[in-house]
Amino acid sequence: MRLLTVALIATLVLAPGAAAKDPESNYKTAEAKHFTRVEGVELSPAFTDYLYAELRNELAKTKLFVQVIGEGEAVEDADAANSIVLEGVITEYKKGNRATDAIIGFGVGARSLKLDVNLTRRSDHQNLGAIKVQIKISPRWNEEVMANVAAHRIAHEVKKGLKEKTKG
Amino acid sequence: MSSHRVALVRAGFLLVWALTTLNVRADEPKPTPENTIHVQLGAPVPPQKFAKPPKFYISEVIDRSGNPQPLLVLRERGGVFLDRQPTQITREAIEQSLKAADLLAADGVSADLVLQVYVFHFGLAQGSGLDFFGKVEFSVTVKNLKTEESQQIQAVGTSIANVAVRKKNIQKNVQANIEAALEDAVRNLVRGTQLREAVGSLLKNSPNAPAAVPGNNMAFVRGTGDGSNCFRSRFEER
Repeated sequence: MRLLTVALIATLVLAPGAAAKDPESNYKTAEAKHFTRVEGVELSPAFTDYLYAELRNELAKTKLFVQVIGEGEAVEDADAANSIVLEGVITEYKKGNRATDAIIGFGVGARSLKLDVNLTRRSDHQNLGAIKVQIKISPRWNEEVMANVAAHRIAHEVKKGLKEKTKG
Repeated sequence: MSSHRVALVRAGFLLVWALTTLNVRADEPKPTPENTIHVQLGAPVPPQKFAKPPKFYISEVIDRSGNPQPLLVLRERGGVFLDRQPTQITREAIEQSLKAADLLAADGVSADLVLQVYVFHFGLAQGSGLDFFGKVEFSVTVKNLKTEESQQIQAVGTSIANVAVRKKNIQKNVQANIEAALEDAVRNLVRGTQLREAVGSLLKNSPNAPAAVPGNNMAFVRGTGDGSNCFRSRFEER
């Protein structure tokens, strides 16, 4: 009986941890590039830098990649097939309206950002997926918070997309 | 009597001015051993490999940030200061990494390529307010002294760390953040494809040009000697 109790407790302790473990770090490297922007997008130049930094930070948090490298860094040939490159374009930015946001709310007058992200395999430049992201935040928040939210969303979508690709 | 009154008013103005100046000065943080951090690379960054490694020499590191107080990295909470100039820290970090891989020449004469570094940003940049955004950005002019040809390459390093409440933790996080950004920037330089291409094109006519390392994406294909531009990396060939 005592042995059974110990075994049961051990199962309860170990099982959730074992179940939560995904086949992580499937990819050797991920390279995030600075996002470009279409004409008419009025964001500060520092925004792109901050988005780049946040994106690298968020990609590292997904634990899907052994290393998240900087833009323009070389990758060894052996790792190239298991490496991805992430490029993106900021397609639309609306700075929102503080007054409308305060009076009406519910997303009206919110600041919005649209991004198109492309994932490619480093070795053969094969397209691994295209992600469209739109985020809306209150105009009271600054650009950096918007970059933070966008990076988090992109990293989440990348993780989801790559996991589906691995399973499928 | 009236001259006494004027003198009194003048003295009053002087007192107010002196107090205001003192107050402003009190807000300005001063470097002390307690609020000064020592930033350096934790470990040298391994550069990309060359079959015939070129020797680099850093001739000078110039501050182009336009920052009047380059040692002050954080103004709030009594300030956080660097113990050395960003140019010196950058030089040490690059030299440390090159030296570890035996790519550092003793002087400019014995070097294959001379590097001139321009530091554009070193320290913290504008973040979301919820974190510390560390950024180190510099450009490097790679010059072949024999041919007088040069090429410019860019390197950027970023790091994001959590903010802290206690002053001790703020200092610790800022230090770790800048160190991570510095390491990232040095890695971006020494492992970057821009350096690979610059070395390839600047040493193409040199008799001891770096050749390819098999199985490594970061090296070069030796020229045929017919004067054509045959130095293509394997990455470019793909």
